[in-house]
Amino acid sequence: HVEALEILLQGLCGVHRDRLRIHELCLKSVPNLGSVSSEVRLLCDLEQSEPTWTVRHIGGAIKGAGAEQISVLVRNMAESKVSKMALRLFYALGYKLDRELLRVGFAFHFNKGAHITVSVSSINKMLKLHATDEAVPLTPGLQLVEVTAPASPENYTEVAAAVSSFCEYLAPLLHLSKPNVPTGVVPTAAAAAASLMSDGGGTTL
Amino acid sequence: MPIKWILHWQPNAGATVNTQIHTELSQCAESLNGVKEGRWKATLSFYRAMVREQANANEFPRDFLGISLVEQPTKYYLVIRGQRLVVEAESSIQMIMEKLQSYKMRVALNFEGNQYQLGDFRLRVGKVVLAHSEGLRGIVMEMEYLPISSWEKSHQIMGEFFDLWQEALSKSSLPGHFVHIEPNFSEFGLSDQYTSQHTAVQYATIMAQMISTAQSVQRN
Repeated sequence: HVEALEILLQGLCGVHRDRLRIHELCLKSVPNLGSVSSEVRLLCDLEQSEPTWTVRHIGGAIKGAGAEQISVLVRNMAESKVSKMALRLFYALGYKLDRELLRVGFAFHFNKGAHITVSVSSINKMLKLHATDEAVPLTPGLQLVEVTAPASPENYTEVAAAVSSFCEYLAPLLHLSKPNVPTGVVPTAAAAAASLMSDGGGTTL
Repeated sequence: MPIKWILHWQPNAGATVNTQIHTELSQCAESLNGVKEGRWKATLSFYRAMVREQANANEFPRDFLGISLVEQPTKYYLVIRGQRLVVEAESSIQMIMEKLQSYKMRVALNFEGNQYQLGDFRLRVGKVVLAHSEGLRGIVMEMEYLPISSWEKSHQIMGEFFDLWQEALSKSSLPGHFVHIEPNFSEFGLSDQYTSQHTAVQYATIMAQMISTAQSVQRN
């Protein structure tokens, strides 16, 4: 189904896919640090010629009745590119490695009412600390499809609508939901995938 | 990027640093036919760990600094000098640190003054003041040599220019002198090619020196 999804996305987005190989380290503050525990992620992009690092902080999701009405998750996120000593700096500040994983797959970045990114990846765990060359899938045979878009407090409802609307195009092949809401394989998936594979995306689903 | 020496003013024993000295230093730069180019500013902030058990506060670094430089308006530098760590980040890292709530900015210092072009050199003479306050805490000087980015290769010419500057200063009989400390950049993982991370490390080093000087003055 992944290959069929790639064909479908290629047709919808009109851009080339980017390869994805990201080592994600989740750090948590040690017990005495901060009045509440805090978590920060360091992402290392291994697809670049030189590994490039980003620090990411994921905050709380918007809550309330308005949030329930929106079919996508809206949450705060702050990011910064950082130079290579960042991991050592956070260790020195009192953060410890809580978990790490390796995402391998591909992504499409395009504009359709918002700056949308669709990534399709397998999530892998490392058998030894930081050993990205020895990673095994957490859920063999399953891939994670994520559709994300940046938004501001002023325009997030429009962005959420653009994301929802885009996801409709993927419906014959897969159903996307808010994180932690299970979906399952859609009944039309096999037929849709076969159709896409046979004529390389010429079919309108 | 051109190499830069950052020096701080060391007052003579018993002397203090004041605005008059800063004015005379600026005038000295102008007397060497320095062309005034405008103002410059750097900001250095001390971060302190927010701990639940005060007794264990020492398990966290006490020399964690955040530095912003006028020549890198979109960047922010984090330094833990005692552990030889320097990180270049985007300005958004400040928001991340705020959201984490594990460290809070306590004291901020501004380094600000005039900038002068002297041939292939650029000189910045700056006051060190506490943010939102007037009192002068120190004086720093940046000496930049525009044609060279290699720290090693620039050493001789920088030394010669520094001697020239000291000689010009000696005519004013100021109660102090500039000190140049050279950090071991390779310990910070930095190469011979000069970058703004080198500048951040020099500022962190100067800060440590100024604190140590202030503490020994207090003890005496």
